[in-house]
Amino acid sequence: MRMTRQEISFTFDGRRVQAFDGDTYGSALARARVDVISRSFKYHRPRGLLCCAGRCPNCMVTVDGVPNVRACVTRAVDGGTVSGQNAWPSVRRDLFGAFDRLDRILPVGFYYKTFIRPRAAWPVYEGVLRRLAGLGSVRRTPRQADHATKRHMFCDVAVIGGGPGGSVAALAASQAGARVVLIDDQEQLGGHLAYSQATVTGDDVLNGLRGPEASARLEKLIRENPLIEHLPSTSAFGIYEGNLVGASRGDSLYRVRAKQIVVATGAFERPLLFHNNDRPGVMLASAILRLAARHDVRAGRRVAVVTEDDHGCAAALELASSGFDVTALVDSRPAASDQERSAAVRSRHIPVWEGATRIEVVGRSRVRQLRFDSGGGRRSVNADLVAMAARPEPVVSLLAQAGAKLVFDGSTGLFVPAECPANITAAGHVEGISDIAGVLKSARAAGTRAALRALGQPVATPARPLPGAPIGAAPPPPATRKAFVCMCEDVTVKDIKLAIHEGFDALETVKRYSTATMGPCQGKMCHSLSAGVHAGITGQSVGKTGLTTARPPFQPVTLAALAGPHLAPERQTALHDRHARLGARWVDMGEWKRPFIYTTVAEEYRAVREAAGIIDVSTLGKLEVTGRDAGEFLDWLHPNRFSDLRIGRVRYRAMTDDAGIVLDDGTVARLGPERFFLTTGTGAFDAVEQWLQWWLAGSRRDVQTINVTSELAAINLAGPRSREVIKRLTGADVSNKAMPYLAAVETEVAGVPAIILRIGFVGELGFEIHVPAEYGAHVWDTLMDAGHEFGIKPFGVETQRVLRLEKLHIIPGQDTDALSNPVDSGLGWIVKAEKSDFVGRAGIAALGSRSGRPLLIGFEVTGGGVPAEGAAVVHQGRPVGRVTSCKLSPGLQRAIGLAWVNPEHATEGSALSIRLGEGTSGTTTAARVHLAPFHDPEGARLRGGG
Amino acid sequence: MSFLLPCPQCGPRDVYEFRYGGEAQRRPAPGSPRSTWTAYLYDRTNAAGVEDAWWYHRLGCKRWFRAVRDTRDNTVLKSTAPTVPPRDANDPPGD
Repeated sequence: MRMTRQEISFTFDGRRVQAFDGDTYGSALARARVDVISRSFKYHRPRGLLCCAGRCPNCMVTVDGVPNVRACVTRAVDGGTVSGQNAWPSVRRDLFGAFDRLDRILPVGFYYKTFIRPRAAWPVYEGVLRRLAGLGSVRRTPRQADHATKRHMFCDVAVIGGGPGGSVAALAASQAGARVVLIDDQEQLGGHLAYSQATVTGDDVLNGLRGPEASARLEKLIRENPLIEHLPSTSAFGIYEGNLVGASRGDSLYRVRAKQIVVATGAFERPLLFHNNDRPGVMLASAILRLAARHDVRAGRRVAVVTEDDHGCAAALELASSGFDVTALVDSRPAASDQERSAAVRSRHIPVWEGATRIEVVGRSRVRQLRFDSGGGRRSVNADLVAMAARPEPVVSLLAQAGAKLVFDGSTGLFVPAECPANITAAGHVEGISDIAGVLKSARAAGTRAALRALGQPVATPARPLPGAPIGAAPPPPATRKAFVCMCEDVTVKDIKLAIHEGFDALETVKRYSTATMGPCQGKMCHSLSAGVHAGITGQSVGKTGLTTARPPFQPVTLAALAGPHLAPERQTALHDRHARLGARWVDMGEWKRPFIYTTVAEEYRAVREAAGIIDVSTLGKLEVTGRDAGEFLDWLHPNRFSDLRIGRVRYRAMTDDAGIVLDDGTVARLGPERFFLTTGTGAFDAVEQWLQWWLAGSRRDVQTINVTSELAAINLAGPRSREVIKRLTGADVSNKAMPYLAAVETEVAGVPAIILRIGFVGELGFEIHVPAEYGAHVWDTLMDAGHEFGIKPFGVETQRVLRLEKLHIIPGQDTDALSNPVDSGLGWIVKAEKSDFVGRAGIAALGSRSGRPLLIGFEVTGGGVPAEGAAVVHQGRPVGRVTSCKLSPGLQRAIGLAWVNPEHATEGSALSIRLGEGTSGTTTAARVHLAPFHDPEGARLRGGG
Repeated sequence: MSFLLPCPQCGPRDVYEFRYGGEAQRRPAPGSPRSTWTAYLYDRTNAAGVEDAWWYHRLGCKRWFRAVRDTRDNTVLKSTAPTVPPRDANDPPGD
C-alpha cells in the first residue's frame, strides 16, 4: 500500500534503516540493500528474502523482543528494534558460519550417531546443540498475553484465501445471500493480480482490467459489501471438526465456524534445486515482482531467471516489463515446450540457455554470478538476483488436512484435490486451474455453490475431468553438496540421498529422519519438492511417492494466541471489602477468594476458643431443594435419611456415589414440609448440583433445585460467648432450650431475614447465619460491633482448619480421595443400612468382603515437628499410610492431624512413625493414634448447654 | 475435538460448552450380584462407533440430555431431552 510516503526508521542489528510508512521490515531491508537477514538452522548459512509472502523461514527476525517474526509481511514500525537470529555476533558476521564447511562431518541425523556415548553426557551435548542450532530465543520473562484476543465468528461461508479466486468466490457467495468471512494472509486482496501486467478475463466484475486495477476493484467491492467480513493479514492454520477454521493474526485467534468452507489457497512457486540455491539474492520470481509492485523496491538490477518449465518464460517477460535487466533465462530442459513464449523472450534480447546442467550460484552473502553447463560449455552470467521460476503448485495442505483426497495429475505434474468432504469446496488455482479466466469461473461457481448449500439448497458438485495419466519416473536431482530442499531445517539433496541409503526409504520415514518439511514453513516451500527429490532418487514417479500427511498448523501460531487473554473468573463474597479493610491475606479456593488469615492463628484461635470469632462462609454451596418428593430424593442420594428430619432441624450429610465413594459433605436443614436447605463444601457445589440434576433428569419426581449460593451471604459465629453476641441482634429466643444444637430457624438477624443453623464445624457453640447477600456486610458489621465487648475477632480459613482438626472433623477431598468410603473415613455412623436402596448402598455393602482396608485416624505428633500433608507413615522402613492434614495446635502445643493407615496401626494409642522430609532419606518423627477428638470429646461445648 | 453438539434446549453449540457424562446404562436392581454392580461401575464399552451418552450443558441451560454419536467422526445422530431417569437409562432416549 503506497498511500503515504512518510519516512520512518528502525534498527536492524544496531544499524539504522530508513523506511517508508507502509513498508514491511522485509521491503525496507531490501531497499536498504541489507542482503543477509538470517542464518540458517544448522549450517548458519547467510539467508535473505526468498518468498516475500510470509511463507518461508528466511526472513525470520526478532522484533522488539518477539522472536521468529517474518520480516517480509510485518509492517515496519517507526523506532522498531529488529535483530537477526541464530547468529553470533550478528547475522552479517556469524562466527558459527564455519559450520557450513563441516557438512561432511555433520550429515543428516548426525546427532543420532555421534553423541550417543557416553549416555550420561547427552544432556551436555544437547545443551550445546540447542544453543548452536535453531531459531530465535524465547524471552526469559513471560510475556503478558493480556493483549491477546480470541474471537468466535459464525458465518454461512468461510473463504480461505483472498487472491482473485477467493475474492470472487466471496463475492459470488454474498450475491447468493450468504454471510461470508474472507480470511487472507496478505494485507491486500487480489493476490498476484497486484503485480501482474496481464489483462483479466473470466468474470464480469473484472473483465478488461489490468492486474493492479482488478486488485483494487476487488478490494473496493468487498469493503463495500455488508455481507462479507474480510480478515486481512490473517492466516488460516487449520480446518477442524465441525467446520471450524482456526486462524490467527499476531496474537489474535479467530475461531470461524462456517456452514461451508471454500478453500481458495491458490498456488505458489517453490524453490528449484541447484548449487547454492539458498544464497541471498536467489528469490522466487513472484517475490521479486511482489516487492517491485507493492513496495516499489528493486531487490537487484540484473536478474538471471532459472526454470524447468514454461513458467520461466512468463516470469522473464514479467520481470523485463517491470524494469529489470534480465540477463539470462536458464532452462534445465533441452527445449522449451511453449515455443511462442520462448520466441517472445528472445525477441526482448534475453539470452535463453537450454539444457542447462550443473547450475551454480557464485557469491557468498550475495549472488554475483550464475554458472551452468549449456551448449557444450561452461557458461557464466553476471547477475545480482536469481529468480527461481517454477510453475506455481496448488497449495493443497489445508484441503488435505480437512480430508480431501489428492490425486497426482500426470499431465501437469501437480497434486490436485480430487474429492472434497461435503462441507468443503476447492476454488480456483488450488484446483489445478492456472489461467486467470479459468480460476475466476471456477471460483464464482464454487462461491455460489457453497452459499446455496449453506442456505439449505442441495447442489451437485460438477464432475471433475480425470487427471492426466501418470508420468514416468521423476528426474534425478542434481548431484551437488549444497542444493537445499528444506530451507527451514537445512536439509540438502545429499542428506535425503543419505537417508534413503541408510534405509529410510519411505517418504514419511525420510521426513522424520531428516526433519525435511518439519520446520517453521510447515512444508510450504518443500512439501512437493522433497517428494520430487525422493521420487528422483528412488526412481519412482511422484504420483507413486505421494505427499506426506498434512497436519495443522499450516502456519505457525503464537502460544499467546492459543492461550488467549487470561480470563479466569474470580469470585468475591459480599463481605470481600470488609476482609480487605481488616488486612486479610487471601487464599484461592476454586474461583473464590477467601481470607486465609487476618492476624495470627494463635490470636484468632484464642478468640474462638475463649470468646467469639466470626468467619465468612458465604462460599459454601447453597441449594434449596423443594417439592413433594424432596425428602425421598435426598434419602435416595445419601446413606442417611432426611425424609424423617423434623422441620426446624439440621442434619449432617455426606453423599456417596454408587461405588460407595464419599463425594462431598455438608448439611441439610428442613425449613418446611417440602422445603430443604442444603449446603456443600466450597469447591464441590457445581459437581453436587450436576449430580442432583443428573438423577432428576427424565425423572417424574416432584423435586426442584435452586442454586442460592450467591444469593445468600453466610457468616459463622462461634465461640463460648457467641450466644451473647447474637442475642443482641435478634428477637428470636436463642436460648439452648429454644434453639438447641442442630436447630434450624428462619428469623431476623440485625433487621434482615435470616436462616440460623445451630452447628459448629470448629467445635464451639456456633451459629451459621445465612442472610441475603446484599445485607451481608451490614450483618457482619453489626456482629462485629455487638461482639466488641466480648472480644470478637474475625478468623480465616487457616485458623478454621486448625480448629476443626482439634475436633477431627474431616474435609472431603482433603482427607478423602476417589477411593474413600464413609465407613473407613470415620463416617460409618451416617450409613443407615436398613434403608431399602440408595446411591452407594451396593458399594458400601461390598466393603464387608474386603479386609485389611486402611482407616482414617487422628494422630498427635509426640516427637516434634509438623509433617507435611501427604507425608508417609512408615513402619520398619515400609510405608503403611499417609498424612492428609496436619497442623500445629495452639491449644495442645503440638502437631495434630489426620492420616490413612493400615488397620493394624489404627488402634487407639498405636505408635506411628511419620516422615518429615522428602523421599526415603528423610528423618521421621514419632506420633500416636488418637481416635477421639482432641477438643471437647464429649461435645458439651458444641451443644452449648446451660 | 471441535464438533458441534445439538443441545435439545439451546440448539447446536460448541462441544466445549458441555460436560461429558458417560455412557448411558441401566443401574442394576438392588440386590443384584456383585459382578453386575462391578460391570455397571467400572466396565465401559468405549465403542469405536455409535455411542449413547449423557451430556450436561455446563455453559448453557444446565440441563442433562442424551446424545447418540458416532465416536469415530463425532457425527451426532440424535440428541434428546431424557424421558427416563438414569436409574433405568438404557432405554433409547426420546421415543
